[in-house]
Amino acid sequence: MQPNTKSVAQHHDVHQSEHHELSFWRKYVFSTDHKIIGIQYGITALMFLLLGFMFMMIMRWQLAYPGAAFPMYFFIAPIALMGVVVLFITGIKPSVNTVAGLSLVAMAALIWYLGSSDENFPDGIMLPEFYNQMGAMHGTIMVFLGVVPLAVGAFGNYVMPLQIGAPDMAFPKLNMMSYWVYFMGGVTMLISFFVPGGAANSGWTSYPPLSNIATTGQTIWLLGMVFLISSSLLGSVNFIVTIVQLRAKGLSFMRLPFFVWAQFVTSFLLLLAFPPLEAAGVLQLMDRLAGTSFFMPSGLVVSGQILPNTGGGTPLLWQHLFWFLAHPEVYVLILPAMGIISEIIANNTRKPLWGYKSLVYAAIFLGFMSFIVWAHHMFMTGMGSTISAFFQTTTMIISIPSVIILSALIISLWGGSIRFNTPMLFALAFLPMFGIGGLTGLPLGLSSSDIHLHDTYYVIGHFHYVVAPGTIFALFAGIYFWFPKATGRKMNETLGKIHFWGSFVCMNFIFFPMLIQGLAGVSRRLYDGGEQYAHAQSVLYLNEVMSVAAWVMALFQIFFIVNFFRSIKKGEKVSDNAWEATTLDWSATTSPPLAHGNFDTVPEVHRGPYEYSVPGQKNDFTPQHQKA
Amino acid sequence: MEIPYTIETREDTGVNNAKLGIWLFLASEVMLFGALFTTYILLRIGSADDWSQLNDILNVPLATLNTVVLISSSVTMVMSWASLMMKDFKKYKLYMGLTILCSFGFLIIKYFEYSAKFEHHLYPSTNTFLAIYFTMTALHGLHVIGGIIVNTYFWGPGSKMWNTQPERFTNRIEIAGLYWHFVDLVWIFLFPVLYLL
Amino acid sequence: MSLKTFHIFFISLSVLTAIGFGVWLLNENAPVFAVLSFLSGIGLIVYGISFLRKLKHVSFI
Repeated sequence: MQPNTKSVAQHHDVHQSEHHELSFWRKYVFSTDHKIIGIQYGITALMFLLLGFMFMMIMRWQLAYPGAAFPMYFFIAPIALMGVVVLFITGIKPSVNTVAGLSLVAMAALIWYLGSSDENFPDGIMLPEFYNQMGAMHGTIMVFLGVVPLAVGAFGNYVMPLQIGAPDMAFPKLNMMSYWVYFMGGVTMLISFFVPGGAANSGWTSYPPLSNIATTGQTIWLLGMVFLISSSLLGSVNFIVTIVQLRAKGLSFMRLPFFVWAQFVTSFLLLLAFPPLEAAGVLQLMDRLAGTSFFMPSGLVVSGQILPNTGGGTPLLWQHLFWFLAHPEVYVLILPAMGIISEIIANNTRKPLWGYKSLVYAAIFLGFMSFIVWAHHMFMTGMGSTISAFFQTTTMIISIPSVIILSALIISLWGGSIRFNTPMLFALAFLPMFGIGGLTGLPLGLSSSDIHLHDTYYVIGHFHYVVAPGTIFALFAGIYFWFPKATGRKMNETLGKIHFWGSFVCMNFIFFPMLIQGLAGVSRRLYDGGEQYAHAQSVLYLNEVMSVAAWVMALFQIFFIVNFFRSIKKGEKVSDNAWEATTLDWSATTSPPLAHGNFDTVPEVHRGPYEYSVPGQKNDFTPQHQKA
Repeated sequence: MEIPYTIETREDTGVNNAKLGIWLFLASEVMLFGALFTTYILLRIGSADDWSQLNDILNVPLATLNTVVLISSSVTMVMSWASLMMKDFKKYKLYMGLTILCSFGFLIIKYFEYSAKFEHHLYPSTNTFLAIYFTMTALHGLHVIGGIIVNTYFWGPGSKMWNTQPERFTNRIEIAGLYWHFVDLVWIFLFPVLYLL
Repeated sequence: MSLKTFHIFFISLSVLTAIGFGVWLLNENAPVFAVLSFLSGIGLIVYGISFLRKLKHVSFI
C-alpha cells in the first residue's frame, strides 16, 4: 500500500508551497512539532539519567571504601573526554551532537565543582551531608527528570501520535510548553547545588520534619517539583486528548497498539495522582517560608531545643499525600516500559501478542488499583492493623494484573520464530528482571514480613530491579527499536549486543547483593554502608562487589553513547519499515518531515495492531492500514 | 497540517479537543483542592483546639458578599457566552466586562479581609486553622487571578478572533467559562467549610 | 459537558449553599438574614428555570 513515488513527490511540492520554512529557532528549539519535542525530551532525559548515574557512582565510592579520599578525576575524566571528543568530531554547530557534547562537559564541570569544594570533601573525604545530597538528588533526578520524561515525554511524544495516525498532538503549543516547563524544573534542581548548604538532602521522599528544617536546597527542590508537576499535568492532558480525539479513521480503541494503551493509562495516573503532591509541596513551602506547622508536631525538640513552631500538624500527613502520588508513580515508571516491550516482542516473535484484550483490561485495572495501595509504604508508621490489613489486601490484588501482563508477554514467545536483535535482547531480559522485581515486592507488601525488611537494602534492591534492569532496559530497547524511525539508520548490532550483555551482567551484580544485604538487616541510607554495625559485618564485602559492578557498567554505557552518536551519521540505512512491523508508525516515512505533519496521505485503519504471520498473506506481517 | 477537531466535534466522542482538555484539567484541579480539603479534615480531627471557635475571627459578612459577587460573575460569564451564540458581540463585551469587574471586586474584598487579619497580628503561623485558611484562600485567589488574565485577554486583544473565526471564539469563551465556573465552585465549598462550620 | 450543564450544576449547588447558610444563620439567632438567605435561594431557583428556558436549544454535552 505504498503510495507511488510520483504522488509523494507531488505531495511534498504542495507542502513546500503551503508552508514557508520556519526559522531555525522555531524549527528546532521552540518547536511545536511532536517529533522534535520528543527528541528534546529524549536527549534531556538521557543526560539526566547519566547525571543520576554519576551521583550513584560517587555514593558507591563512599559505600565501598568508607572514609577513603575520593578520586574525583577518575570519575570526571571519562565524561569530560567523551564530551570533548563529541565536540571535536562535530564542531560547534547547531546539532544534537553539539548539545550532547556541551552537556557532557557541563556535567563534568558540575561534578568537579562539587568534588573540589571543601564543604563537601574536606581533605578529599566525603561528608555525610554531601552523601545525603547525592542520595536525595539521585532519586529525584532518576525518577522525575530521567525515567518518566524519557518513557512518557520522549517515547510517548514521538511514537504515540505516529501510532494512532495523527498529524501532531492535539495541543502543539501546550506540548512545547510542557517540555520547557520540564526543562525549567531540571534547571531549578541543578541550581539547588549552588545555594548555601547545597541541594536537598532529605531523600527523594522529603519526609518532614527533617525536610522542614533542612537547608535552603529543600526550598529550591520544592520549587523544582512544582515545575515538574505542572509540566506532567500539561503533558498528560495533551496525551489523553490526542489519543481520544485524533485516532485515525477505523482505529477503534481495541485496535490501538498496546503501547498507546499504556501511555493512555499512564497519562490518567499522572493527571490524577500528581496534584495531591503539588498540594503537599505547597503546604511544605508554607511550612518552610511562612512558618506554618502543617507537618510539624507540637513541642518538637531538635538539637536539644524546642522549635518555636506552634505545632498542631502531623508528619504523617505528608507521607499520605506523598505516597498518594508516589505509588501511582511506580506504575507510571513501569507501564510505558511494558508498552514498549509488547511492541518489540510482537514484532520480533512475528506473531500476535497473546491475550491482547486481557493486557488492555489488566492495564486499566492496574491503573485504577494503583490509587488505593499507597499506605503499604507506611506499614511501620503505627497506622493500626485494620488499615494495614486493608492496604495489604489491595497490594496483593494489584499484583494480579501485573502478573497477567507479564504472563501474556511470556506466552507470546511460545512458538514464535524469534529474531534475537538488540531491542529484542533487552526486551527478553526485561521479563525475568521485572519478574524478580515484582516477586521481591510481595514480602514487602505483607505487613508482618515488612517489619523485618522495611528500610533495608532489600527495599532498594526490590524497586531497583523493577526500574533499572526493568524500565531502563525497556527504554534502551525502545531507543534501539525506534532509532531507525527517527534517523533512517539502524544502530550498530555488535556494539548494541556488547552494551546489552555488559549491562545485563552488571545490573545483577549491583542489585542482587542488595537483596542479600537487606535480608541480613543492613539499613538503607547509611553513609558508611553499615560498617559500624555488628550484624552487617558478614555481608560488608558485597559493598565493593556492587560498587565495582556499577563502575564497570558505566564503561559498558560508553558503547551505547558511541553507538548512538555514530549511528546518527554512519549507521546502516534502512527502509521506512525497518523491522517489518504492522503498526501505523512504520507506515509513515522514515525520519518523518519535521513541522510538516506526519503522513503523506491521511491514514485509514482496517485491522488490529499485531497481525503477524496471517495465513494466506504474502508477507508475514499485515500492516494496519492494508485493506482487507 | 491542520489538527482535526479543534472547532468541530468528533462524531464518535461528541466533543472537540479543547472541551475534553479543559475537563481533564479540571479533574486534576479537583484532585488538587481535594487533597487540601482532606488536609483540612485530617488537621481538624487531630487538633487539640475547637475549630468551630477558632473560625469566629473570620469575617462572615465580607465572605457572604464575596459569595454573592462570585455567583453573579458566573451568571455574567454564562451570559457573555450566550450573547456570542446569539451573534451579539456588543452584549458579549458588556457581560465579559462585568465578569472581570466582579473578579476584581472579589479580590479587593479579599484584600480587605487579609489586611484586617494582619493588622490584628493573625498570620498563617498563628495556628493551624489560620495556616490552612490562608493557604486555601490564597491558592483560590491565584486561580481567580488566572481567570482574570484569561478573561481580560478574551475581552481585549483576543476578541479579534470573532471577526475571523466566530465559532472558534465562541468555543474559547465556553472553555474559559468552564474554568471560571470551577473557580466559583471551589469558593462555594470554601465558604461554608472555612467560615461557617 | 457544556457550560450550560455546568452552570445548572453550579446554580443548584448555590441554592443548597443559600439554604444551608440560612439554617446556619437561624442557629446564630439572625432570623432576618436567614429569611434573606432563603429568599435568595428561591431567587436562584427561579433564575435557573428561566435560564434553562432561554437556552433550550443549546446542547447539554
